[in-house]
Amino acid sequence: MEFISRNLQRQIRSLPFYSVLVAATIITLVPIIWVFASALKSNKEIRAAPLALPGEWRFQNYVDAWFGASFDQYFFNSIFITVTSVAIVLILSSLAAYSFAKMRFRGNQLIFFVFLIGMAFPLSAKLGPLLSLMYELNLANSRFGLILVYVAGSLPFAILMLRAFFQGFPQELEDSALLDGCSRFQFYVRILLPLSKPSLMALGIFVFMGTWNEFFQALLLINEDSKRTLPLGLTAFQDEYFTNFALSFAGINITAVPVIIVYIMFQRNLIEGITVGSLK
Amino acid sequence: MAQLPGRKALRAAEPRFRFDLMPYLFILPAVVIYVVFNLGPVLASFIFSFFRWDLLTPTTEFIGFHYYDFILNDRWFWNALGHNFIFLGLAVVIPVSIGLLLAVFIYEIRRGRVFFRAALFLPAIFSGVVIAYVWKWIYHSFAGVLNAVLELVGLGALTQMWLGNGDIALYSTFVAYTWASFGYSMVIFLAGLQDIPTDMFDAARVDGANFWQKLFRITIPYLYDVFTFVITLRIFTAMGVFGVIYILTGGGPYYASDVIDIYVFRMIGNFEMGWATAAATVNTIIVVFISTSFIRLRERFSWSS
Repeated sequence: MEFISRNLQRQIRSLPFYSVLVAATIITLVPIIWVFASALKSNKEIRAAPLALPGEWRFQNYVDAWFGASFDQYFFNSIFITVTSVAIVLILSSLAAYSFAKMRFRGNQLIFFVFLIGMAFPLSAKLGPLLSLMYELNLANSRFGLILVYVAGSLPFAILMLRAFFQGFPQELEDSALLDGCSRFQFYVRILLPLSKPSLMALGIFVFMGTWNEFFQALLLINEDSKRTLPLGLTAFQDEYFTNFALSFAGINITAVPVIIVYIMFQRNLIEGITVGSLK
Repeated sequence: MAQLPGRKALRAAEPRFRFDLMPYLFILPAVVIYVVFNLGPVLASFIFSFFRWDLLTPTTEFIGFHYYDFILNDRWFWNALGHNFIFLGLAVVIPVSIGLLLAVFIYEIRRGRVFFRAALFLPAIFSGVVIAYVWKWIYHSFAGVLNAVLELVGLGALTQMWLGNGDIALYSTFVAYTWASFGYSMVIFLAGLQDIPTDMFDAARVDGANFWQKLFRITIPYLYDVFTFVITLRIFTAMGVFGVIYILTGGGPYYASDVIDIYVFRMIGNFEMGWATAAATVNTIIVVFISTSFIRLRERFSWSS
C-alpha cells in the first residue's frame, strides 16, 4: 500500500515536468510537421489555408520537385563527398591520435597543440587564401578538393577526441602485444582499431553529420551544378521554385529526410560523439 | 677508446635516446592535410592582409595597414560586427537557458527520457540551409504558419514582414538559430547532470529543498565546467553565424541583419581579397580574444579546481 502511494506521489511530482516537456516537444516539432504536411498540399490550398491539413495527399509534389532539379546528382555528390571524407578522417585521425596518446617523441605536445588551435579560428579566417589556393592547385570546383578541405576541417576535433580515448587504453595491452613481436602498426590495425569501434562509430557519425550539412565552404568552392552537394543544390532549387509553394516544401523534405533517417538509426552514437568529445 | 663501444651499447639498450621515426610517420598524413588546407590558409590570411592583392593572387608588394585602414573606417564592417555581438549576447543566454531547463526536466522524469532527448534534439541535426528554408516559410507573409497562427488567436495586429522589416529581421534569424541550437546545450548539460553524485539530490530532498533550490544550489554549481564549454561553443557559433542568415535575409534588408561572415563572403565575391583577409583577421582576433579571456576568467573563479 505504501509502495503504491509512493509511486503515485512520484508520478504526481513529475507531472509538471512532463507537461513542460510535452509542450516543448510540440513547439519544437510543429515546424517540421507543418513543412511535411504542406509538401502534400496544392499551391491553392497552401495559399488559402496555411494551417489546414492537406485535403488529398499529393505525393506528385515530390516527384515534380525531384525532377525539378538534379537531385539525383546532388545526392550522389553528397554521399560520395561525405563518405570519403569520413573514411579519410577516421584513418588519419586514429593514426595521429595513437601517436599522440601512446608514443614518446620530440614535439608531441607542441604538434598536438598546433592541431588544437585549429578549433579556435572562425571559418572565415581561412576562406580568402583557401579559395586562391584551390584555384592554384586546380582543386576549385572539384569534389576531391572539397573532400580535402572537409578532412582538414574535421581533423582537430577528431584527433582531440580519439587521443583522449586512446589515453585511457591499458598500457599493458600494448606492451604485451609489442613484446610478442607485433609491430606498432600491426597493433594499431589488429588490436587498437577493433577495440575502439564504439568511439570510431560515434566520431564517424558526428563527422558525417557535420560534413553532410556543410554549406559555407561548398558555396565558396563549388560553382558547377553537376558538383553541388545537397545543401547547395537545395538553395539552387529554392531560387528557382520558391514561388511554387508545394514544390519548395517538397524540396526541403527531400533534403531533410535522409538526415532524419540517419539520426533515427544512430541517435545514440551521434549524441555520444557530441557529449564525449565535449566533456573530456 | 675502449669506452666507445660500451657507450654505444648502452645507447642501443636505452630506447629513449634512439631517434624513432614511427611516431612522425603516424602523424604525417594528418599534419600535411591540416597544414595545407586549414592552418596554412589561416596564417596566409593574416600575412597577406598586409600585401597588395591582385584579384585572387597575393603579390609581394607590402602595403602595411592599408586594407585595415579601409576596413576599420567602413561603417558596414562595424554594422556587421555589431550584429554579431547582439547575436552573441542573446546566444549565450537564450539557447543555453532553454537547454539547461529542458535537460533538468528530462533528468527529473523516469519514463521517456530517451524519447524527449531525441525529439528535442531533432532540429539540431539539420543543415543551416534546411533550417533557413523551414523558417523562411514560417515567416512567409501570407502562406506562413506564424502570421496564420497570430490571426487565428486574434493577434492579427502583430502580423509582420518578419524578414522584411529591418527592425526585427536580425531577431527573426536569431529565433531560427535558437530553434536549431538549444538541443546542443541540452544534450551536453544532460551528460553533465549524469555525473553529479545522486546522493547530493537525495540529501537535498530529505532536507526538503524545492526544485529551484536544487537547481541553483546544486545543479548549476556542479555544472560549472560544463557551462564554460557550452557557452564557449555558443561564442564560436554566434560569431561565425552564416548559413541561416545568408539564406533567410542575405544580410538585409539594407544590411539590417548583416554579420561578419556574410561581409567577408561578399568581399571575396567582389574579388576584394585584401579587404576580406583584413576583415577576417580582425574578426579572428576578436573571437580568439573573447573565447580565451572567457575561459581564463572561468578558470580563475572555478571552485572545483
